[in-house]
Amino acid sequence: MARARGTDGSLLASLPWTLLALAFALLPHVPYLPAWITAALLTCAIWRYSIEVRRKPVPPALLRASLALACFIGVLYTYNTISGVGPGSALLAIMAALKLLETRQRRDQFVLLFIAIFLVMSSLLREQYLWSLPYLVIGVVLIMTAWLRTAADDLEPLRRSLGTSSRLVMYAAPLALAMWIFFPRIATPFWAIPIDTGTAVSGLSDTISPGDISALSKSDAVAFRVKFDGKVPEPQDRYWRGLVLHRFDGRTWSGISEPRISSGALRNLETLGEPVHYEVTLEPTRQHWVFALDIPYHWELDSTFLGPQHQLARVQPIDQRVAYRAVSYPDYRIDLELHPYRRGWYLEFPESRNPRTAELARSMRAAAASDAAFVRAVLTRFNEEAYYYTLEPPPLGSSPVDRFLFETQRGFCEHYASAFALMMRAAGIPARVVVGYQGGELNPMGDYMIVRQADAHAWNEVWLPGSGWRRVDPTAAVAPERVDAGRTGAMFDGSAAAWGLGAPSMLLHKLVLTWDAANAKWNEWVLGYGPENQERFMNWLGMDDPDWRQMMLTLVALVTGLTMLISLALMLRYRPPPRDRAAILYETFVRKSGLTPATGETPRVFAQRAQRESPLPATAVRSITDTYLDVRYGPPDAALLQRLESDIAAL
Amino acid sequence: MHGGSPLEKTPLGKDAGRQALERARASLGKIILDKDQQIALALACLLARGHLLIEDLPGLGKTTLAQALAKVLGLSYRRIQFTSDLLPADIVGVSVFRRDTGNFEFQPGPIFAQLILADEVNRATPKAQSALLEAMEEHQVSVDGETRTLPIPFFVVATQNPADQIGTFPLPESQLDRFLMRLALGYPNAENERELITGEDRRSMLESVAPEMTAEILVTLQQDAAKAHMSEHLVDYIQALVRQTRESPDIEIGLSPRGAQALAAAARAHAFVERHSGVFPDDVQAVFAAVAGHRLKPAGDTSFRSPAEMCQHVLDSVAIP
Repeated sequence: MARARGTDGSLLASLPWTLLALAFALLPHVPYLPAWITAALLTCAIWRYSIEVRRKPVPPALLRASLALACFIGVLYTYNTISGVGPGSALLAIMAALKLLETRQRRDQFVLLFIAIFLVMSSLLREQYLWSLPYLVIGVVLIMTAWLRTAADDLEPLRRSLGTSSRLVMYAAPLALAMWIFFPRIATPFWAIPIDTGTAVSGLSDTISPGDISALSKSDAVAFRVKFDGKVPEPQDRYWRGLVLHRFDGRTWSGISEPRISSGALRNLETLGEPVHYEVTLEPTRQHWVFALDIPYHWELDSTFLGPQHQLARVQPIDQRVAYRAVSYPDYRIDLELHPYRRGWYLEFPESRNPRTAELARSMRAAAASDAAFVRAVLTRFNEEAYYYTLEPPPLGSSPVDRFLFETQRGFCEHYASAFALMMRAAGIPARVVVGYQGGELNPMGDYMIVRQADAHAWNEVWLPGSGWRRVDPTAAVAPERVDAGRTGAMFDGSAAAWGLGAPSMLLHKLVLTWDAANAKWNEWVLGYGPENQERFMNWLGMDDPDWRQMMLTLVALVTGLTMLISLALMLRYRPPPRDRAAILYETFVRKSGLTPATGETPRVFAQRAQRESPLPATAVRSITDTYLDVRYGPPDAALLQRLESDIAAL
Repeated sequence: MHGGSPLEKTPLGKDAGRQALERARASLGKIILDKDQQIALALACLLARGHLLIEDLPGLGKTTLAQALAKVLGLSYRRIQFTSDLLPADIVGVSVFRRDTGNFEFQPGPIFAQLILADEVNRATPKAQSALLEAMEEHQVSVDGETRTLPIPFFVVATQNPADQIGTFPLPESQLDRFLMRLALGYPNAENERELITGEDRRSMLESVAPEMTAEILVTLQQDAAKAHMSEHLVDYIQALVRQTRESPDIEIGLSPRGAQALAAAARAHAFVERHSGVFPDDVQAVFAAVAGHRLKPAGDTSFRSPAEMCQHVLDSVAIP
């Protein structure tokens, strides 16, 4: 038994390749996997390799079995389940690590490489980025190379293994493309992949507490991209409305749950000015909120409704990237009448939590001539007194608004919005907090606008008799450049020097924009190739209203045809065993002679025939044949090969 | 043996050996007319340290070729005429009692020469044949329990008359294998036959012919020939040929691994004789019939008129890599 577990170093040559392929397959999973799994895989890889180096036996079966059980329980404990992408890939990864420990033969390595292929594929279940395609190609080539190096009896040159695997992938590419284009796409897939709803996706949540948005402000992740049909709205009009919050407990703002039926809020909307038409591609948020330019008037997204506070939401959470067209009016009036019951919503606040703020608001209101004047006074206070806009505000205690207004005086948009709304309410003016994105950067490379998580913003709406809900952005009073240029712009314009960033980061910024433009195209053309695009493409191909049977038949016919074509091409291209340069050159010579050598006809015999029957000069035929024989059958001689090349070229 | 020959003063350089080989070849060509190929093959066989079987009708110059080879190459030569009453002792020698010394003294047989002509080898009994073939194989003979080494180089040219059927013992296939090559000389063309009729008698020509090299030079040449460059492609070719002899439905018994080795060695020596930079496919093709012809057994229902035709058939069906 001990004998059977022994290793003899025979895998030393191929094992590093298997490990490399496995590591590469694991790469996209690492950020999602618990650290202990990555650590276990690394440990097992090093352990197994040192076993091979020292020709030690692999660990006993009992140890391996108990490790497997422990790891299984570990995955179960970490995820509380074993179904879904996360636990599934974790199990796959940990089992690959354990399989390493019982790898004794080439056959076991093949199993490992199979697992690597599954790992590479399962990374696509999470997300398909632009770099997923090169990653896939490189991954498959690498795994195939490891495969070839495991299968090869003797050590063939690495270049040949790499060449073979690249070629194999190349042969498969047309098939993959055909399947991608013609495989029937169905709006709701037959299968549903359980997505890890638990994993954090950066973005706005349903509630806002101090520090929520400033945490987002450091994320460069794209929230959504917008393509405008005509003129792009001015920076001060780029308020992307998300959710509206009206409940305040002294610290956290929350709102109603997302609407599931139409609220009829459009009836309370009076549009002024020109509409803006645009298309939004929203990255997955795992939330229901659908972002639109203030204020949305029309939208084309299924089961999406407008809430009573003019916020848009979809019934199913946005788990995958969606694209929708929308129409908004930057100039508008809403809710000229406010129902007393609703009015109560917008005036409520816990009196005890932030007493100093309430007191200040009341005294300021008393000093002001009107509600509007009071609003202006508060904004002026934010502007003129020592309030600062900062990405890293100091922590606030249990009376956050008091502490912010009177002590720290440093905050991010949610601090100002929160304080402003509270002051309005204390003075008897209905107010609420709107959360969404503000700004957006036009990408000149792709002629569209990128809105990032860093553009997340909170602002206020106050209700004044006669004018309805009016947007007020207290952050703009403190840091006007935040609103005018957007956070990203601010970072790279005026404050760039303060950040210690110079020209190189401008170049970097340009690169980032280019990369994003490529990503947008990728999303549009590759990932966006769904049922509609497919149908459009089929119509363009001349297939009117194809049903899935027809498409399946087309696919089968196409794949069969392509396979035959590729096989035929390979057959025609096939030449027995490796051919060297001399043989290729000689073939050129034979072609130029216009004759075909018979099977078993030696170059000399052929040369005699060629001297008689071909138009080539007899002396050249003779000397080329002699040189060829010397090059191919004599000892290696680079000079002779060169001569053969020039002689044949001179024909 | 060749005391006083001017050759002893010639330096044993590589070029000297090469030139001696060229001269020997030219000299042989003057005696045996219009048989360049056969001369090259016989020389290649010798340089590959193989033995040669010449199978042909009487009067076609078998003996002349053997004698000329011995003479030109400067080898000691003995001829053994194989008859049905030939005994092994007639070949290897006997120990005779010397009365003056009171001891048995070994009287070496004709086998103790560098070049043996075993004439009409199929007319002797298998027992006598075996004595010769054992000597060829072992490079030594055992007489009265004592092992005696044969001279170096040691080269057997055996002849066989294919027309003789009555009272002959044709060599079995297993013994034919001992010969590296089997050659047929064939009739000379009209012009050369005229030359034979009118010109100088070959026998007297042989007496006047001068040796062109020594046994020592021949041994160095043998070593050089074994080193002829053989590329991977050519090994592929030899393997493909061997595979074809085994897989062809027209051939019952294909080439053995020893046959493949023989083919490679003969091709090397031929390339050396032809002064090629390495072993060319032409060398393999040139020696193929001579090396493989007597080793292959055609299938019963095939219509090859001769072994040569069968060999040509194999060559014509294998592509040259």
